[in-house]
Amino acid sequence: MSMEVEINFSLNGIATQAHVPPTMTTLAMLREKFDLTGGKLACGEGECGACTVLIDDRTINACLMFAVDCDGREMQTIEGLASASGLAVMQQAFVDHGAIQCGYCMPGMIMQAKYLVEQNSGQQALTRDDIARGLEGNVCRCSGYTKVVDAVAAVVLEENQTGERAS
Amino acid sequence: MNIESYNAPDSIAEAAQLLQGGNATVVAGGTDLTPQTESGVRQFAATLVNIQRIDEMRGIGVMNGRIRIGGLTTVTDILESKLLADEAPVLVDAADRFASSQIRNASSLAGNLCNASPAGDMCIPLLVLDAEVELACWDGESISTRKVSLERFFTGPGKSVMVAGELMTAIEFPRCANRFVAAFLKSGPRPALEISTVSMGLSCSLTDGVISNVRVAIGAVAPTPLRAKRTEAALEGKVLNEATIQLAVETAGEEVSPIDDVRASAWYRKHLTGVYIRRLLNHVNGS
Amino acid sequence: MSAVIERKTIIGKRVPKPDAPDKATGRTRYINDMVLPRMLIGKILHTDRVHARILSIDTTAAMALPGVHAVLTGEDSPDLRFGPTRDNFPLKSGKVRCIRDEVAAVAAETEEIAQQAIDLIKVEYEDLPPVFTPTEAMRDGAPVVHDDHPDNRSLGYEFSHGDIARAEAESDIVVEHQFEVPYVTHCCMGPSCAIADFDTTGKLTIWSQTQYPYNYKMDLAPALGIHPGDIRVIQPPVGGAFGSKLDVYPFEPICALLAKATRRPVKLTFSREEEFINSPTRQPVEFRIKSGVNRDGTLTFRSVDALLNNGAYTSWGPTTPVIQMRTFTGHYRLPAVEYRAQAYYTNMVYAGSFRGYGNVQATFVTASVMDMLAEEVGMDPIAFRLKNAQNSGEVTPQGSILDDCRLGECIELVAEKTDFLNKHKAYTDQRKQTARIQRGIGIATTIHNAGGAKIHKSDGCGTMLKLDDYARATLITGASEIGQGIDAVLCQIVMEELGIPIRDITIVNDDTALGPWDVGVHASRTTFIAGNSALRAARAARKQVLDAAAKQSNVTADQLDLREGHVVQADNGVPVIRLDKLLRQMHFGDEPELVMVTDYYEPNSVPEDKNHFGNLSSSWAHGAYVAEVEVDTETGEVRVLKMTVVQDVGRVINRLGIEGQIEGGISVSLGYALSEQLQISEGRVMNPNFRDYKVMTAPETPEIELHFIESDCKEGPLGAKGIAEIPAIVPAPAIANAVYNAIGIRFHAPPLTPEKVARALHGAPQQ
Repeated sequence: MSMEVEINFSLNGIATQAHVPPTMTTLAMLREKFDLTGGKLACGEGECGACTVLIDDRTINACLMFAVDCDGREMQTIEGLASASGLAVMQQAFVDHGAIQCGYCMPGMIMQAKYLVEQNSGQQALTRDDIARGLEGNVCRCSGYTKVVDAVAAVVLEENQTGERAS
Repeated sequence: MNIESYNAPDSIAEAAQLLQGGNATVVAGGTDLTPQTESGVRQFAATLVNIQRIDEMRGIGVMNGRIRIGGLTTVTDILESKLLADEAPVLVDAADRFASSQIRNASSLAGNLCNASPAGDMCIPLLVLDAEVELACWDGESISTRKVSLERFFTGPGKSVMVAGELMTAIEFPRCANRFVAAFLKSGPRPALEISTVSMGLSCSLTDGVISNVRVAIGAVAPTPLRAKRTEAALEGKVLNEATIQLAVETAGEEVSPIDDVRASAWYRKHLTGVYIRRLLNHVNGS
Repeated sequence: MSAVIERKTIIGKRVPKPDAPDKATGRTRYINDMVLPRMLIGKILHTDRVHARILSIDTTAAMALPGVHAVLTGEDSPDLRFGPTRDNFPLKSGKVRCIRDEVAAVAAETEEIAQQAIDLIKVEYEDLPPVFTPTEAMRDGAPVVHDDHPDNRSLGYEFSHGDIARAEAESDIVVEHQFEVPYVTHCCMGPSCAIADFDTTGKLTIWSQTQYPYNYKMDLAPALGIHPGDIRVIQPPVGGAFGSKLDVYPFEPICALLAKATRRPVKLTFSREEEFINSPTRQPVEFRIKSGVNRDGTLTFRSVDALLNNGAYTSWGPTTPVIQMRTFTGHYRLPAVEYRAQAYYTNMVYAGSFRGYGNVQATFVTASVMDMLAEEVGMDPIAFRLKNAQNSGEVTPQGSILDDCRLGECIELVAEKTDFLNKHKAYTDQRKQTARIQRGIGIATTIHNAGGAKIHKSDGCGTMLKLDDYARATLITGASEIGQGIDAVLCQIVMEELGIPIRDITIVNDDTALGPWDVGVHASRTTFIAGNSALRAARAARKQVLDAAAKQSNVTADQLDLREGHVVQADNGVPVIRLDKLLRQMHFGDEPELVMVTDYYEPNSVPEDKNHFGNLSSSWAHGAYVAEVEVDTETGEVRVLKMTVVQDVGRVINRLGIEGQIEGGISVSLGYALSEQLQISEGRVMNPNFRDYKVMTAPETPEIELHFIESDCKEGPLGAKGIAEIPAIVPAPAIANAVYNAIGIRFHAPPLTPEKVARALHGAPQQ
């Protein structure tokens, strides 16, 4: 039996403890230890983005990051985005703009889109090209990306009009 | 391999001690290590040393008149650095063409260099910036460091001069002289999420139409990221005109030794080498 | 209840998929996310040879590993055969014929133990001489892949119409071209996965990604040696399908055999690398096409020979000639036409169906050749196509009835919207200069079945619809949801007929024990077929409800309508009774009745006869797409700037869905045109990952402009036609034609990678 390491971190705002093998990936931990299956193992090599999560306000591929490295950090997964009162703005935009077909890549895509918009907050509004560049690490085989960019562009527009963080 | 110990030191000294003896795997962003261990290309050693908590290995600053970047600095940090945008835009350009946002957020600069891929995108701008890497180890009582020119760092695909027990703590390069020009190109058609078919960097000074202090680095055309010395020599001190550019194209084409693989043939890599050296020199001429 | 309720239609509106919110929050449990109590993990040992005799398999060490519950080899089930021609086996015994071949499988407590057990299995082989191409395979003395096919011949097809010899002799111009289309793969984001569980009576429940659950039972049964009636298929949400799940593939019966052996649920999932190597590809084809044309631009004949690499086993790939043929014989007016296709067994991987099924391959050829012929006769690509486009009422040589043909309208509109002729001429002229960046514009068109395709005995779909006491509807349909959006379309049909909100409709279509039969999600058929069935069911329910309401209020049913949860007066919208109240009165009244209706819709199409003649689809549709590209003449990189689409869609039902289907289809076709190719060297897949198998990403996506022709198909549900394959078919040749316009070089083999384009531009031979 290989060793396990105790880690303590914030998971979707909740102080969390886990015991993980040191070579376990963050994605495996989320899926196997916490039943958070929104993030997907679709390539395991950082080439598709389906496992994207936020850690300390940066997105990463959870399939590449070691779970032990979550220790002391703050993580948000797709499951932490919606509130009791409903979908987050970015999630709702993806629904309303028809970005979601099979949806398998969408938890990762939405996390990356949210990050993209938040990173850019207060700066010159993202263009469609900027949005597409920001999503380059997320592969979708259904949508052809147009409706994904539509959704993110709508959030950007809304944010610009209200002058508030909408995502 | 069963992991026997896991450590997350918060200082270089502590990490260096843990790495002593060499039977340890250094863990940082994981972007290269995870796919390599998953596919079996690489095995974990019995000791894992997670260096992500070593704050003294992060950051971008000026030290003794040189730019110094901590080994754990991420590619995103480089992309967002105001200092580098002013002082070394070629490095920022390369960061912008590096993988994807998620990978840039996780990948450490030292990790990209230690991986020693012939196509490593950060190697190319750092070669033309004449960077040195700082390697630290524990000598029994204290940290011992040595500096190695990046040009001499790579020894083969996945191989470098680093010895067991060493840690790459920082990357340094001189601040730019006046009239210094540097630029980076990478093959497409995707903007970034590509293993480069060819990447190329060039730096030089241009005074009264004469090109000098030329450095040319080319990725994915040789067993290591290549400093194209013959091409540099062919350019050095010349008036930058079409004849000079043509000579550079021919010399670079002879200097590279690319292979055929699933991404491209040797022919295409040679062809792109010529296209890119011409583009970079035209860019220099225009700037 | 005084406020007047206006009639509002939901048809043609932008309706989000009902499952989208759960998918956006990560709540949706895909099959890959499922865990059952006591579930074991299955794993397959694939061979590392391409053609070899199996001398021995030693499973002793694997069996002895703690946590291993079963180790199976082909020797455990040598008589189980499956596949459309029964030439495949779940686990191979005797010999292996391609790199995919499954030689052993294990079921263990964990993924790690299963992998360790796989690593402990020792197989001894004696290599046999391999054969990789159809040309090699047809030679005398070629290595034999299947002993019962000593000439390596697999499926073959032939069709002929008119007098080809005479047409050729009388043609002003006769030209011959060759094309070759590559191996590409679906890249479903959810890797292949199955979960199998046998009950104590020997009945199997299989959680499957299949997109044809009912015939899947029939096809899976012989692979297990059980009765198809003893199989229940449950379809959890899937991460894409695109045709890749229209057949049974060995991992599925292997998963079930492991479950049978262990009497526990077994889950088997592919890694991405396994997915690239082992999941079906699109059928690669080598084409020879001879075409005749008169100087006035009239097509005189077309003769096509298609050579198919069957690979080691037969899935649907070698049956794609059925649809290739419809395009070669029926796209543009052809007085004489012939088509021959022959597949040969080799030691290569094998192909299944992939969105566009045969027409992707055929249209790359026809659309390229149409441009080449236009140039031969000195016409522009638009005028040449219009000259040869059929008109409404024409019947193609194979009997496709073009009762309402919009091909000419598609071409004219897309040319107008893109300023095609001016740009085409300007870019042709610009070729004379040697700019680094050259622009080009290109058109491609196709015909595709848009009212199902009767390739089985039936092309039908069943529906059961019920309304409960609260006016909530449950629609149980045979039609599967694989992300394409039939859920939204069926909801809209129910909403339109019954006047209830989308939130009050539940679609049930994930369990063969509940659902009525359907042939599967394929052939652009689901909106048309399942939509018609749902529409008929909804109309029956509507009639029952309105009859009851009419009886209560002493009016006739046609004086009433259903709107926003109410029965209203049809002429003025004044509410009569709330629908839920009426339903309870019907249920609990003196003559109790429930609203529960069924419908089975069989389209009026006919199967082909033995001469490949017959109106295979209830409706046909055309599309004309224009690509505008930029070619970097130094690096060879092609950028698609814009894709303009004109397509006959019959009628838009869900505007959001139809746009999404077209945009997504274009993305896949862009990959086919520019970057995607499974590189197979001596039978081995060299690029089994997203690094080196490049699908399109967001920054590579062009601007897309969509124009729909709403021809109001008389057989279609509310006028709709099937739409979702044309976008995966037409863009690639439009891009190839645009690249020709930009640089004057014709590419006969996609993908047009930067290297391939650079080689052509800089005088280096193609590899």
